[in-house]
Amino acid sequence: MRKLLDWFERETGLISAWGWFWTQPLPAGVGWWHIFGALTLLVLVVLFVTGGALMFYYSPTPDQAYASVQYIEHYLPAGQFIRALHYWAARLIVPLIVIHIVRVFLWGAYKRPRQMIWVTGVLLLLTVIGYGLTGYALPWDQKAYWGTVVRLKIAEGIPLIGEAVATFLRGGDTVGAVTLMRFFVLHVFVLSVITFLLVAWHVLQVRRMGVTPPGVPVSHEEGIEKPQRLYPEHTARIAVGAVILSALMIWLSLRFPAPLEPRANPMDTAYKPHPDFYVLWLHELVDFFPPHLEFFGSFVLPTLLVFLLLLVPFIERNPERQARKRLTALTTGTLILLVLVALNVKGMRALPEPERLSPIEKQGQRLFVELKCYSCHGINGGGGPVGPDLGLGGKRDPEQVRQLLRNPSAHNVHSIMPAYHLSPEKENALVAYIVSIGPNSKMPPIPPTEPEKPASHFEENWFANHKFEVRKDPASCADCHKTFFCQACHQNRRPSSHDAQWLKFHFGNAAERPEMCAACHSPDYCESCHKVMRHDTQWLQQHGSKLAQFGEKMKWAGQTMHQMCYQCHTPQSCQGCHTGALPSSHKVSDFLRDPQVGHGKVARKQGTASCNSCHQPQFCQTCHGLPMPHPQGWESDHPQVGHKNPALCQRCHNFQEETCQTCHQAPPSSHTEDFRKEHPRRITDSGASCQVCHGRNACMNCHKVPMPHPKGWGEAHAKLGQRRGWKGYAGVKKLQQTQCATCHDIKYCNQCHQP
Amino acid sequence: MEQSVTRREWLGTLVKALATLLAFVYGIPALIMLIVPAFRRQKTPWVKVGNVHQFPAGEPKAVTLSYQRRDGWVIRTVRSTVYVVTKPDGSLRVLSNICTHASCAVRWERGRKAFFCPCHAGYFDAEGKVLGGPPPRPLAEFPHKVEGGLLYVRLESV
Repeated sequence: MRKLLDWFERETGLISAWGWFWTQPLPAGVGWWHIFGALTLLVLVVLFVTGGALMFYYSPTPDQAYASVQYIEHYLPAGQFIRALHYWAARLIVPLIVIHIVRVFLWGAYKRPRQMIWVTGVLLLLTVIGYGLTGYALPWDQKAYWGTVVRLKIAEGIPLIGEAVATFLRGGDTVGAVTLMRFFVLHVFVLSVITFLLVAWHVLQVRRMGVTPPGVPVSHEEGIEKPQRLYPEHTARIAVGAVILSALMIWLSLRFPAPLEPRANPMDTAYKPHPDFYVLWLHELVDFFPPHLEFFGSFVLPTLLVFLLLLVPFIERNPERQARKRLTALTTGTLILLVLVALNVKGMRALPEPERLSPIEKQGQRLFVELKCYSCHGINGGGGPVGPDLGLGGKRDPEQVRQLLRNPSAHNVHSIMPAYHLSPEKENALVAYIVSIGPNSKMPPIPPTEPEKPASHFEENWFANHKFEVRKDPASCADCHKTFFCQACHQNRRPSSHDAQWLKFHFGNAAERPEMCAACHSPDYCESCHKVMRHDTQWLQQHGSKLAQFGEKMKWAGQTMHQMCYQCHTPQSCQGCHTGALPSSHKVSDFLRDPQVGHGKVARKQGTASCNSCHQPQFCQTCHGLPMPHPQGWESDHPQVGHKNPALCQRCHNFQEETCQTCHQAPPSSHTEDFRKEHPRRITDSGASCQVCHGRNACMNCHKVPMPHPKGWGEAHAKLGQRRGWKGYAGVKKLQQTQCATCHDIKYCNQCHQP
Repeated sequence: MEQSVTRREWLGTLVKALATLLAFVYGIPALIMLIVPAFRRQKTPWVKVGNVHQFPAGEPKAVTLSYQRRDGWVIRTVRSTVYVVTKPDGSLRVLSNICTHASCAVRWERGRKAFFCPCHAGYFDAEGKVLGGPPPRPLAEFPHKVEGGLLYVRLESV
């Protein structure tokens, strides 16, 4: 062993270098105040160790980052502790550095020849801030995402370079996969390399130049007595400090695990990121300036501060180290620090008060989680994208909330929210909590669901697109969700496929992919309709007799059997078979016209319901030209139809024989006493309606000449006279007696003829 | 001087002790986090195959199963096919459809009354026993259970 070490020493000289490092002699005044640099280094090592362990399990892609952090939190032994340790170490390193810097400043330890130690220290502070900014984005929860969006937005506000820097960091237009990977690589690689180099420089310089003897002016350092060594005297102090600090860190980590907000949701604009407490002064600085000069607060002043800090050893060249001999520097430094602290305090005051819930509201909050209200509603971000965010929309009326819980669709008919009928006690609690929710309320912590939601459920627009996933493989939904899960929403809003025509066409889907139906419906769902008539193999042969058998007797939902078929089948579907194979009733020799077994008789006897199972109601009209059988009120309506188109009636009715007389033994109402005189003017349809009762020759029978007189009657009636041999006045007289006198007076002739 | 050396020795021991303590306090949880999960065995879940009545005695019936499998923080949906064979006495067997020769998928051929592997013409009977061709072993059988009329199978990695 010793030989091996000797060989190692010979080859590298590292062992004597190790000894040289720890035996550094220290001046007398070095004490407890000098341990903070080492403690910072210890926290940095803790961050490296825990960060390295976390890196084994972290996946820097937007679709997996959050899941991997959740995995660390919930599935790994000690995972939560390690992450909490990383979180708290990152929080504690900032105040430790501040104490260290203040100590070095007060002691004047940055003066010649140690300026570069100070400069590297300030650079290390910047890298730590860089760690903070990049590490912030990695969990990819709401805070990480929106915090990063806001910060890059602020960076964009810097004139000239801002846009380019922000775009470079984002790796594109939007915060996304490329951004996350960039932040990850910066966090674990780039900054780590820089930190390693700077720490080496910083620490080795301290070793080379020695720790500043307190209170000794710059030129008097030579020959100062150094009674103690780094090891073991000062390391003992450091070790005690380290144990105390570690106890604090471990207690914090066990008591307050690192927060993890809901998964980043770029669509969730309701989310309000709140800055961490140690950067509040920066936000106050930004707010101090009007918007167009914002970059003064966000960039110019902080940059000036950083440069000021970097240049401290070159500004204060006063060689004295005792406090009373460098009052100007100390006052200036204290003032600047005080201003920053004051700004931070102001910022903390401006933070919204954390919500305080009464016991009943707390009970309501537990119900909010238990009833999974969060899966649809957010509270100022978080929660599902389905319902409105409860953090929005002002103060609520308790009674209105109560009504809404009991019957959401009364509030809005399109609402898919399920109704909640809770015991009065629970309802009161939930209502009280919902009423208490304001713009500063926060989502209560949601216990992780088991089994965990798959990544698809976090995709953008998952809620709108879930139907496509269901269609692909409904069985995969059923792995986690019970059937009634769908119905929580879908009892109020049916899937888009279930439109008005759905009932008619669902059979095809149900036959081809029964698992699709099973995704939402229980197996006995079909039965609720189909049990009335089971369409088994015998159905086809039996349906006619069954329909006839049950026909009118069997009513379902107040409908006839045929209408029940139409729930699924179109009326034409009968014709699919029955065009070739007519029902037996149609097979009599003259079904069309036979008065005893023909269709008219059947229709009158059985009603048209049985016709309608194959034929559409309009079917009769194609031949009859009228709704058949004659609708109600036909008796009073038929003269109208008959007058317009008597031929329609004649398709069935033979008016000459019996039909009219059966009713019209008394003349129709139009035939008033003076109808004989008036009828020429009343008849508007060239006598067609007269023919209905009086026959085709109705006019001729009385008038013996065509009526009304056709065109060219003037000459024609003379010829008529000539043909009959009526000549001269006597002839006229004769003529008058026979025909024309029915209508015309002798004076009428005299209008033309000279007597 | 003698005393000073003792004090320094004592301080050195203290420093070493505290340093070791801190190394353990920070190192052990980190190591636990790295080591323990690697040796955890994932329990294969019981996957629902379907109602027992769906598998009448006679022809083996292919069922495609879909279940979720955790791979670290990634949860994937895995699909695999099994054949459910019911004997006339009502006892069930659930067979893998993976040929034991070159891991091709076998299918039931009604005409031959045998599972047939299209890759190298291997044949298995309804019990999964090799009838002919290159397969070295019978088809793998998965453990199953029937609870409340439902058939479950545990798909062990083949």
